[in-house]
Amino acid sequence: MRVIKLQIARRLVQMTALALLLAIPAVSRYGNYLAARELDQNIRKWDGTVQGRALKAMDATFRSLPKGEKERAGEKVRDRKAVLSYTQSLRGGPWSVQLAGLSMTDPLAGAESVVAGKKVARVLVISLIVPVLLTLVLGRVFCSWVCPMNLFLEITDRLRGVLKLLELPPLDIKFSRTTKYALLFTGLVLACIFATPVFGYIYPPAIISREAHDLVFGIFDGAEDGHFNAWMSGLTWMSLLILAIALFEVTLSRRWWCRYICPGGALYGLIGVARPARVVLKKEKCTRCAACVVVCPVGLNPMINRMGMDCDNCGLCISHCNDDALAYRLGRAKQRETVAGETSTGRSAS
Amino acid sequence: MSRSVSVAFSVVVGGAALAGFGSLRRGNEAPAGMRRGLGLLRPPGSLDEPGFLARCIRCTRCADACETGAIRLFGPEAGSSQGTPGIFPLVRACNLCLACGDACPTGAIEPLEKKEDARMGLAVVDKRLCVSHAGTGVCGACFTACPLRGKAITQGIRNAPEIHADHCTGCGLCEEFCIVDEREGLRAIQVTSTRRWSGASGGLRVRPCA
Repeated sequence: MRVIKLQIARRLVQMTALALLLAIPAVSRYGNYLAARELDQNIRKWDGTVQGRALKAMDATFRSLPKGEKERAGEKVRDRKAVLSYTQSLRGGPWSVQLAGLSMTDPLAGAESVVAGKKVARVLVISLIVPVLLTLVLGRVFCSWVCPMNLFLEITDRLRGVLKLLELPPLDIKFSRTTKYALLFTGLVLACIFATPVFGYIYPPAIISREAHDLVFGIFDGAEDGHFNAWMSGLTWMSLLILAIALFEVTLSRRWWCRYICPGGALYGLIGVARPARVVLKKEKCTRCAACVVVCPVGLNPMINRMGMDCDNCGLCISHCNDDALAYRLGRAKQRETVAGETSTGRSAS
Repeated sequence: MSRSVSVAFSVVVGGAALAGFGSLRRGNEAPAGMRRGLGLLRPPGSLDEPGFLARCIRCTRCADACETGAIRLFGPEAGSSQGTPGIFPLVRACNLCLACGDACPTGAIEPLEKKEDARMGLAVVDKRLCVSHAGTGVCGACFTACPLRGKAITQGIRNAPEIHADHCTGCGLCEEFCIVDEREGLRAIQVTSTRRWSGASGGLRVRPCA
């Protein structure tokens, strides 16, 4: 029961991140209209459409917050300044976000910006503090708890089961787990040579954050021009890259991106290599049913009790353990970590 | 898969990235019909172009912070400028609220203290198009729109605008409110910038200007 709660909590956090991804640009547009004093007029003009309803819902939410309303001539009116300060406190996406004064940036973005710009900005260091500290303690939890790409790939991964039912067993090509560290290094060198953060173009959370921004802005731009159904007009072909990765994973290599390629996951893994919070096996309870091996999204083998850098502490192995033999523990790793625990998984799975 | 294959794989991917990036760097023109030959406007406080492209992580935070919605992001068609912010006064001009400098997590846009410190570009009047200069009317729209009116723009006879380069921030409000509307969004007063386009053409995610 405890463990099911854990997975529900994880899904809730993922969904919240996804909702914020779409809400933040929408709140930004709401703030634009409010600052330009066009809000009430737009709510009236767009009544009944999705855009109008979204504005109305945001308006109701911000008014219900403390100081959101003030009295004027016996009537409750919106406190414009207070609401604007609320709307301005939300910025960005999973690549770099600001939530009510708390600024957080993906360490990969920070590393690239430093390498490409050859300068360390103080704002950047400040916004790296929280993610780096969290990763030092909890490991690669961004991947399992926040990353929208991981959520998408976890869902599309179920399609492999459908393919199996259809007697079309998908391939599972194994790559080396060191690939992602090599790619991380290559990318940082490229960023240094080109003086441009190159991962920003292809890193899925960055793409998703920009696509969501463009999608929402496109929807509101459409409304300003009188087109209320311009749904996909904001999306660019970068979305196809996301779909291509998912397709590749479903048909050719299970969880290919997160296991072997993702440079962001590689950096999170490197930062969290000595994390105190990790999954530990109670050997005396384990009946070696291998349920954990089947379910592990990054393809590790929890039964040998040596979770390397790749483990993202998602807890699926704990949830699926039939014998209550796996649990989170605080403490240092007993054995020396292999690089990403590659040898262990490769052998046991094949 | 053996280690050598893995290394070969990353070399191939790195090479592909190199080739792809090389192709992104080609092209140096503005989107058709928008700001042709006028240079690129970045948010107030932005570093010089090479420094900006190096530090900016393409994260959308400045665009979310923008009070007027003037900051828009370039799409993938813009090559290496993809995801970077640009301002097109004909769509919407900057009102110098300076929230973008506050929002930038990497210092690509440096926070400014006063709006007078911003230097995005320089407004230039086309005296043949301007109704006040040409003598066909009395306007003064740009003077009224200017956030530093009296300093950046002063008025002469028939409200004819004079720009003062040492005070003009290049915010583009004068361009947005100029009453002259020639074909392809040509206004009598336009903001020019020395920033060249480093990406390929096009790709700004804005609707075409009315």
